[in-house]
Amino acid sequence: MNALMRTFRVLLARSDRTGPVDQGLAAVAVALIGFGVVMVYSASVIEATIDFGDAQFYLKRQVLYALGALLLMGLFARIDYHKLRPFTYGALAVVTLLLTLSVLGFGHTGGGAARWLAVGPVHIQPSEAAKLALIIWLAYSLDKKQEQVKTFWIGVLPHLIIAGVMMLLCLKQPDFGGAVVLLALTFTMLFVAGARLHWLVLVSMGGSLAGYWLVRFRAYRWDRIMAWWDMGEHRQDLAYQPFQSVMSFGSGELTGLGLGRGLQVLYLPEAHTDFISAIIGEELGFVGILVLCTAYLLIVARGVRIALRAEDDYGSHIAFGISVLFGLQALLNMGVAMSILPTKGLTLPFVSYGGSSLLVSAVAMGILLNVSRGRETGKGNSRARGRGPEASATVVTAAGFAVSRPRPCRDPMGGAVAEEAT
Amino acid sequence: MNSAQLSGRGGRWVRMRMGLLCGFLAVGLGVLVATSYQLMASDGKAWRELAEQQRQRRLHVVPKRGTIYDRNGSALAITVEVPSVSLDAVELLRGVPGRDVPGVAREAANAIAEALGLDPAVVERRILEKRRFAWLKRRISEGEAVAIRALSSTESAGRRRVRGLLVEGEGQRFYPRRALGGPLLGFVAPDGEGKDGLELGLDDNLKGHVELLRGLRDRSGRLLLADGIQDERALAGHDVQLTIDQGIQFVAERELEAAVRIFEASGGSVIVVDPFTGELLALANWPGYNPNDYRTSAVEQRRNRSVSDTYEPGSSVKIFTLAVGLAHGAIAPTQRLYCEKGMMQVDNVTIRDTHPSEWLSVADVLAISSNICAAKVGLSLGGAKLYEGFRRFGFGEASGMPVPGEASGTLRPRGRPWVQVETASAAFGQGIGVTNLQMAMGVAALANGGELMEPILVRRVATATGEVVREAVPRVRRRAVSARVARTVAELMVAVTEGEGTGTEAAIEGYRVAGKTATAQKTDPRTGRYSLDDYIASFVGFVPAEKPVVAIAVMVDSPRVDHAGGNVAAPIFRRVGAMALTYYGLLPQGTKPTPVADLAQAPDPAQATYEVLRRSEGKKPPVQEVAGAGAVREGQVRVPDMTGWPAREAVRRAVELGVTPEVQGTGLLSRQVPTPGTVVSKGEKLTLVFEPAT
Repeated sequence: MNALMRTFRVLLARSDRTGPVDQGLAAVAVALIGFGVVMVYSASVIEATIDFGDAQFYLKRQVLYALGALLLMGLFARIDYHKLRPFTYGALAVVTLLLTLSVLGFGHTGGGAARWLAVGPVHIQPSEAAKLALIIWLAYSLDKKQEQVKTFWIGVLPHLIIAGVMMLLCLKQPDFGGAVVLLALTFTMLFVAGARLHWLVLVSMGGSLAGYWLVRFRAYRWDRIMAWWDMGEHRQDLAYQPFQSVMSFGSGELTGLGLGRGLQVLYLPEAHTDFISAIIGEELGFVGILVLCTAYLLIVARGVRIALRAEDDYGSHIAFGISVLFGLQALLNMGVAMSILPTKGLTLPFVSYGGSSLLVSAVAMGILLNVSRGRETGKGNSRARGRGPEASATVVTAAGFAVSRPRPCRDPMGGAVAEEAT
Repeated sequence: MNSAQLSGRGGRWVRMRMGLLCGFLAVGLGVLVATSYQLMASDGKAWRELAEQQRQRRLHVVPKRGTIYDRNGSALAITVEVPSVSLDAVELLRGVPGRDVPGVAREAANAIAEALGLDPAVVERRILEKRRFAWLKRRISEGEAVAIRALSSTESAGRRRVRGLLVEGEGQRFYPRRALGGPLLGFVAPDGEGKDGLELGLDDNLKGHVELLRGLRDRSGRLLLADGIQDERALAGHDVQLTIDQGIQFVAERELEAAVRIFEASGGSVIVVDPFTGELLALANWPGYNPNDYRTSAVEQRRNRSVSDTYEPGSSVKIFTLAVGLAHGAIAPTQRLYCEKGMMQVDNVTIRDTHPSEWLSVADVLAISSNICAAKVGLSLGGAKLYEGFRRFGFGEASGMPVPGEASGTLRPRGRPWVQVETASAAFGQGIGVTNLQMAMGVAALANGGELMEPILVRRVATATGEVVREAVPRVRRRAVSARVARTVAELMVAVTEGEGTGTEAAIEGYRVAGKTATAQKTDPRTGRYSLDDYIASFVGFVPAEKPVVAIAVMVDSPRVDHAGGNVAAPIFRRVGAMALTYYGLLPQGTKPTPVADLAQAPDPAQATYEVLRRSEGKKPPVQEVAGAGAVREGQVRVPDMTGWPAREAVRRAVELGVTPEVQGTGLLSRQVPTPGTVVSKGEKLTLVFEPAT
């Protein structure tokens, strides 16, 4: 209990990173969450009526998740991202544990895969949190290793091992989409951090071979690929879902059938989760999809801008990782829904139904927003304002580091870490 | 300042690397937008059509067929929802890996075949066709439905659940009165199409309209939304109320069948009409069939011969000949006609009478049915006028009833005006073809004062929610003869059933019956000449003669035991007529209705009412007074022998005697305990055992 209180105190302690967040980005995220609530209702009303006799069954839950998401986003936008450092390994361990548990059979089976952990009435999908935990850990680790990233044994291999373990756990569930995203994130962040290209090329070739092997000798995956390849032939069985999804997009034409008028909901399984973009396409048409793509483009663009402007490498890594997570996930999700890619289970960030996905996305967005905060000039001397014991202690230790470290402004929270350690 | 640091970080070219990755994402976005443009803007129309097809493809919801009622609202044909089971093979095989399909299909086929009693190989083929919809078995029993639901709902012992089985209600036609009115009603094929009789004639009304339904089905085939149709019943076909009276129809069929069996005839028809409205109260045919299992019947049995068969009517046409003659003044009611002593030569044909006579009054011409005198009336009218007169009575034209195959009959079989011989024979009913319906409507015209009515069979058509679509109103087709002539002919017809007339068998005690018998030779199709064995015995008439309630036309085809219309057909008329009169509560002549006021003033009103009711019930079985041992003292009664009595009579008698009846079984009384003749105290128990009459 005491430790928990202390944790909160540390997290919520005031810092001098009080500049304005990227308001455009925040607006887009909030708009997407609201839009998601509307679309989830539209896509789930029939299924909810049939399965639960309550047309608003999914809507009510999604509204609660959305409120929770906004709260979390606001909270994390206030917590200085540097304070997350001490939790890096804890988060990684917890996530890995949850993944292992779900693999070991505590999972709640849905759609033939054990992707959910049932905790009382709540079902958690640990692979969503795994993505964020991996980003935070990679950012932390790459920042720490700096120039050593270029070496294989220190810079590449450890990261690959940890990411590999998580990917294997994901594959075991099986959550192929999750594994792909984890792999892509690892690759991206290593690449940006400066890992040597030939290592990465070698590793990705190995990864491709392993991926091919995984797919080729797992009958159901191979069947799925073949069905995807030859969709017309399998439109009634294996490729039923992608075929219906494409049909759903197509019937939207330019401007769509109108909100709530979509009828493919009757045919498309998981219309409110992984295939919600198909319903958006049907109801809002090409225009709607274009606007949706623009929203994600904005998120990624602002995110990358934040990464470039971040005050240190750690922030830059986090911001870039999170931006790529959003962009990649949205791309893959829509690509699957349009049958450009074979089916894997991926949610559309902020929009798809589901608490785990939405809350984790919100936390990620909150962190990204916090990275976007600038240090307000002229208020650097916090001591003068007398913020209470914790704050002053932090600043004092920070000042201590400032003497010993060559880059004082890079790591103002290093003191907090040191304090934790002692 | 930060960006400067990032880009400057020792040869790592962060900006470039980020840019490269963003480029990848941008390419992905480009592909995505291009694909969606292709999908939605270019091919959108085709996809939308495909999606609409998918939604509406299996909209085979058939509206519930309307009910056919008799005139009093008793159902003659109703549709009941019976489960049928269909298969969605795609749903059944969803998620089954390719190589497991044959095994799963076989397993499912065996389970389904076992539940429905089908051939597993056939079911397996159905599954492997991978169609989204196929009937497995239509109109299954309750047990089969339960078995199918068990298969598709839970994980039944060790067996995997079979998906894609759909049990839906499908309409099945039931005829609760079984063979009653079979040829009139017709039947409905399994696909819901009316195939015969009224079911065919009124199919458009009964069937309802499928195209009004706009519904959606989800992927498992459930009907989800039906725009604007909140009331399920609005989907149903219209209900039809006939003018047929179930009671009269029943008696007509019963009497016709009895006569056909007694006289070993090949068929027959009885039509009962309300002469003033033209409403058909009964339209009986023999042979008939039970439309509930129409498959076991021959086409011959299904024919509605009252309407579709023509026959040479013979003597019954004479009433129309006389009516036309009287109308044109060719004869006067008081005139006497010379009958040539039973033989008359017209051109090269000899006309004979069965009762040779010399001078006959017009009444006697009908009463003894003289062909020669009828021919003379016809000849004096001339072919054209007689033909015209017959046409005015509705012969030679179809009435347009909503039953299929109505014949119009033939007055001029050779398609040209009659020559003299043809005029003469047409006047007594030879050489022309009529339907029994035409005879009934014609005689109804004489009964109602000369107006030929449109025959009405459908009284009202209403939607399933009770909104009246159309209602029949009595319609006069034309005036056949003046009321005076019709009145005169009606009086002449009464002579037929009285005294020496040929139709005395048709007389109903207490009423004046107007009628005419006919015994017509049939043409032998092999020789083209009149047959010596095959006759058509018929009787037409109405009762009571002065203010008719019903007009009845009876036709019996080829009776063997006897062939005279007066012996074969007239009794049918009598029984059906008597029943109809009782049914409508017409008191026989000579009986005086007892005013209720009188009953109220009687010393014991209850007893008086009871007496009146008992009188109106008609004949009662005679009570067998039994002599038995033991004297009857005060407060005791001797049990009478009531064996063979119907239950109501027996119970009433027991109550009259003062014993307490205890009834067992149904039917006629077969045994009494204590036995007849025993003396019992009043209030004691008398057990009456009834058995169904054999």
